[in-house]
Amino acid sequence: MPSALFVLRSNASPSRLLAVIPARNEAGTVAAIVRGVIASVGCDVLVVSDASTDETAALAKAAGAAVIDLPCRLGAWGATQTGMRYAQRNRYGVVMTLDADGQHHPQELPALLAEQRRCGANVLIGTYAQRLSAAKRLAWRYFRLLTGIGVQDFTSGLRVYDRRAVRALASREASLLDYQDLGVLMLLRKKGLTLHETPTVMSPRYQGGSRVFSSWLMVSRYMLHTTVLCFAQLGVRRRIAVPKAGAANPS
Amino acid sequence: MTAQITAGLIGALLAGAILYLVRRDHLHGSYALWWLAVAAVILLLGVFPPVIDWLGRVTGINYPPVLPIIVGIGMILIRMLKMDIDRSQQERQLRRLTQKLAILEQELTEVRRTNGASRESLSRESAPAPADLPRVVERR
Repeated sequence: MPSALFVLRSNASPSRLLAVIPARNEAGTVAAIVRGVIASVGCDVLVVSDASTDETAALAKAAGAAVIDLPCRLGAWGATQTGMRYAQRNRYGVVMTLDADGQHHPQELPALLAEQRRCGANVLIGTYAQRLSAAKRLAWRYFRLLTGIGVQDFTSGLRVYDRRAVRALASREASLLDYQDLGVLMLLRKKGLTLHETPTVMSPRYQGGSRVFSSWLMVSRYMLHTTVLCFAQLGVRRRIAVPKAGAANPS
Repeated sequence: MTAQITAGLIGALLAGAILYLVRRDHLHGSYALWWLAVAAVILLLGVFPPVIDWLGRVTGINYPPVLPIIVGIGMILIRMLKMDIDRSQQERQLRRLTQKLAILEQELTEVRRTNGASRESLSRESAPAPADLPRVVERR
């Protein structure tokens, strides 16, 4: 009898696409997102439940996603990286990440994928500049200055990674990062990969606020943490060309 | 002389405790070596305090008793730094193990499901003894 593993691995192709959705207690939205992605892109969907205590895993599975249930909490990036390692193990060529809270619209994904194929960048970031608050704009300007990475929104979870980027991010080196933000981008830059940013549409979160920008204490912790991370990477500071996105935020 | 006895006693007690812990296998590999060295130094300084005065004279420090304190604090700082480095390494390993475990668990569930399904359809086709089927699946 044929092993399922063999079946899983035999149909490898460079453009096989996997949508990775990290989720922690998102039972309210995760099923709709999974169905939306399957309907609009038709690719395999993986939900990584970050030790959720609600029905997230079961609902995602019922909606048609493959589900990885982490036994203990690894944080947003830890969950996303699990998806990268899964993609590598199962020979997916391209990984797309989006949040489970409903702020990213599945119907926007085909345009994003087409843009990635068109520009040929290793990483494509979907940005919605209008959603950035004044505080965030200031913070991002500071980090742009510090790192020389000309990206409008560092924390956007809506991204497309190609095979090289996935390999870089599945590595041990990326395992001590905490968010899918600057640390990830700096690592990619260190590996000589190219970034491209494209404007897209997002909606405000249906429930719950930003994990990072929830309170002043969290913000200062985050700023300090990320600044230290930037300084640790100063030696590899090398400007990479980030092509200006069409309707980029003018601020 | 009483001060020397006190110092000697404290040194011997500390060294004895460390030696006991190392011998009981509570400390692993390089840690045991480090702590044995610490025990030896404590014992030496406790039993022969003049060593400190001699060291003070050699290094040109006017007030020799401060020497073991400074060196001790320096050693503690280095040790703590090393501990944090090790902890970061362990955190990395733990995260990767957690990820791998979860990925393998998902794969195992998937394999079991497809295997179970194919066996079920197989036995349904030949259908020798339907009552036997659940037990066979369980044993696997």
